[in-house]
Amino acid sequence: MDERSLPDANLPPFEGGRSLLLGGAAAGAAGLLLTLIGGFIAPKAALYSYLIAFDYWLGLSLGALALVMAHNVAGARWNVVIRRLGETIAAAVPLFIVLFVPLLLGARYVWIWIDPPQELAKETLRLLQYKKPYLNFNFFLARAVIYFVVWSALALLLRAWSVRQDESGEALLTRRQRKLSAPGLVLLILTATFASFDWLMSLQPAWFSTIFGLYVFTGGFVGSLALLCLIVTGLRSGDSALGKIISADHQHNLGKLLLAFVCFWAYMAFSQYMLIWAGNLPDEVTWIVARSRGVWRPVGILILLGHFLVPFFLLLSRDLKRSRQGLAAVAAWMLVIHYIDLYWIVMPASSLDGLGLHWTHLTAFIGVGGASVAAAVFLLRGVRPLPVRDPYLEDSLRYVQP
Amino acid sequence: MAESALQARRELDPLPLIEGRHDDGTLNKTLLDYVWQRPQPGWLTLFFIGMGGTGLLLAGIAVTLAKGIGMWGNNIPVAWAFGIINFVWWIGIGHAGTLISAILLLFQQKWRTSINRFAEAMTLFAVMQAGLFPVLHLGRPWFAYWLFPYPSTNSIWPQFKSPLMWDVFAVSTYFTTSLLFWYLGLIPDLASLRDASAKRSTRFIYGVFAIGWRGSARHWHHYKIAYLLLAGLATPLVLSVHTIVSWDFALSILPGWHTTIFPPYFVAGAVFSGFAMVLTLMVPARRFLKLKHVITLRHLEAMSKVMLLTGLIVAYGYLMEHFIAWYSGDEFESHVFFQTRARGPYRGIYYLMIFCNIVVPQSFWFPWARRNVFYLWIASVLINVGMWCERFVIVVTSLHQDFIPANWAMYYPTWVDFSLLFGTIAFFGTLFLLFLKYLPAVAATELKELRHELEHEWLEGAKR
Repeated sequence: MDERSLPDANLPPFEGGRSLLLGGAAAGAAGLLLTLIGGFIAPKAALYSYLIAFDYWLGLSLGALALVMAHNVAGARWNVVIRRLGETIAAAVPLFIVLFVPLLLGARYVWIWIDPPQELAKETLRLLQYKKPYLNFNFFLARAVIYFVVWSALALLLRAWSVRQDESGEALLTRRQRKLSAPGLVLLILTATFASFDWLMSLQPAWFSTIFGLYVFTGGFVGSLALLCLIVTGLRSGDSALGKIISADHQHNLGKLLLAFVCFWAYMAFSQYMLIWAGNLPDEVTWIVARSRGVWRPVGILILLGHFLVPFFLLLSRDLKRSRQGLAAVAAWMLVIHYIDLYWIVMPASSLDGLGLHWTHLTAFIGVGGASVAAAVFLLRGVRPLPVRDPYLEDSLRYVQP
Repeated sequence: MAESALQARRELDPLPLIEGRHDDGTLNKTLLDYVWQRPQPGWLTLFFIGMGGTGLLLAGIAVTLAKGIGMWGNNIPVAWAFGIINFVWWIGIGHAGTLISAILLLFQQKWRTSINRFAEAMTLFAVMQAGLFPVLHLGRPWFAYWLFPYPSTNSIWPQFKSPLMWDVFAVSTYFTTSLLFWYLGLIPDLASLRDASAKRSTRFIYGVFAIGWRGSARHWHHYKIAYLLLAGLATPLVLSVHTIVSWDFALSILPGWHTTIFPPYFVAGAVFSGFAMVLTLMVPARRFLKLKHVITLRHLEAMSKVMLLTGLIVAYGYLMEHFIAWYSGDEFESHVFFQTRARGPYRGIYYLMIFCNIVVPQSFWFPWARRNVFYLWIASVLINVGMWCERFVIVVTSLHQDFIPANWAMYYPTWVDFSLLFGTIAFFGTLFLLFLKYLPAVAATELKELRHELEHEWLEGAKR
């Protein structure tokens, strides 16, 4: 091995990001306030906008949590220099407990099964009566409590142990992170699956799909990989100390993961679409019919092209994955198309006219997003921007593509 | 590196990948030399048992061809039974080889090196067994070439809308790629065998298959590129094969078959059973071929973890199926899962499936289970049994009680069904024994490379 000198990774606690913190908090407050006003004017439209924004940003946090845990379980070493970023994004999860309250207050505007209108068809009412043991407000609330407890506990514990290791360097803390991550992944996948059933699938309470949980979760996971790519390319383009430590090889690995999970997402989406389309059973196919007719048809085609075909061929390029501008552009686009995908999942269920465009989509997105960004930056300030005493830090610094 | 970090690493580092100190000479000796030795009595005994079983397979095939597939137990309504169960089971077993050789290569997992050759060979032999069943089920296998789309005077084209047709393309592509991948990896080792041959005849045979390999930098350069490209190609292929197998079922509208989770859940189940089969074969092989220094407890532990992961995905699939069967409010779905499967006449197989596929792998959460070789072997056999039961449950229970009670009927396999199943197991074993005898079961060249890397790392660490 060549005797290239390793960069000094013993970075001091992060003190920057002040403008991002304040800007995020201000945008968050303004966006949430405007969405609240929108909620008084047009409750249904505003709540649907808010639901998409909520699931979008929450999905990014949960995706980052899954990535951190998967690396812990696998005993990965290359990722140490970027692990703190993932831990920080994941640790923003408790914020969403507060942000969930508006959805609870307006639940009956969003989920038709909470208070089914009597003019629904008799079969539908009977079906909702049948599903009542699962689809009732109290149990819905209890499940949400469980989800948030599990997610917050996992994200906060993993971050806390990792931060504590910055001081002590104990091997025990690495072992704890690994030991928690294995059952943690099981819990995360189960809770995220049922959360997607509760919050998204039950928007059309007669519809069902066994792969839906994985499909929604994979969407968020792709989003969080894209977010990490964007942050890493941004850091490497700027003059931050962390940006000098993260090498093109680390960025390349993130790009490869993005490529793999763009494919995996397409696999989920295609499995769901093709099997339901081919089966053509009235109970199931309504979901697809609603999303492939009229104004939704071009949106669906856009998702096929933009969420899979185009990024797939672009990301095949090794040069692109190692280029800061190139990967940043694809990652930014993935974050846009992920929103469109969620929009396509949620909005056709709203029975609002056309695409259901409403100004609260913008305010809700900025509101929830600003608050999440502010929370993440707040968590990063005052701690080291990478796990400086991780036993495998040196492996990560030395990492080169084979 | 700081002293504290080194201390922490000593506590955390996993078990070694290669036990003991070796150089290229000792590795050559331990990994290649047994090819020259005379067969052991144990090997011969197993080989004759395998040949006997293969005779049973031939008898089953002869009866099927002479009298027709009426000799099998399947009939309306259970028109698909052992044929497709065994096909799916064998194809699934094959998946582990490709996962180890291709996907773990892309994930830069070093532990794959000692076991990839072995697992790839298993893939090829398993796919051969799998291919027998649909061909025999054609009824007139001598027309099997009609499955391929070629312009013929009959003007008969295959039904492109059927996933069974896609199986033909997927499986044949998969087999070709796996064969190329396996052979490419073998070339440097075949050259080693050629160079070490004492007899002219063996030197000639190994020399032909080594296609002029001299180990020059140019050869290695091309070899590495080809290997990585084949790995990249094999990865989507291995996912596609079991995905399409799952579509054989999911594309229909039969309760218990038509569900969207099938593709990922089938792929995970395939890898699950494949790893179990690798362990079933490897635990005795590493002992009798004296390979414990390169197939260490670290490898067995890593493989048990993969089985735990894929077993959990399979359990997730079961959970989703059962939950949605209730949640959908569809009475046929509920009937299949909560009556036919859980309380019907085949419930014994259903509960055996739950025990083997869900309960048994949970023991792999604990290190004692992952490191106890005897326990691992028992568990791996149970998992293979469980995965066979899963296919039985899926295929037979959904068919034997469909929408109309007047259609319901029981299914009983015949002796021909059983002789085909056990015959393929014996044939598989025979092929495997031949592989162990005539080819290096561990990728010796790759292992030498790995030893170099590990030694380098060790020296680096010692310097600091």
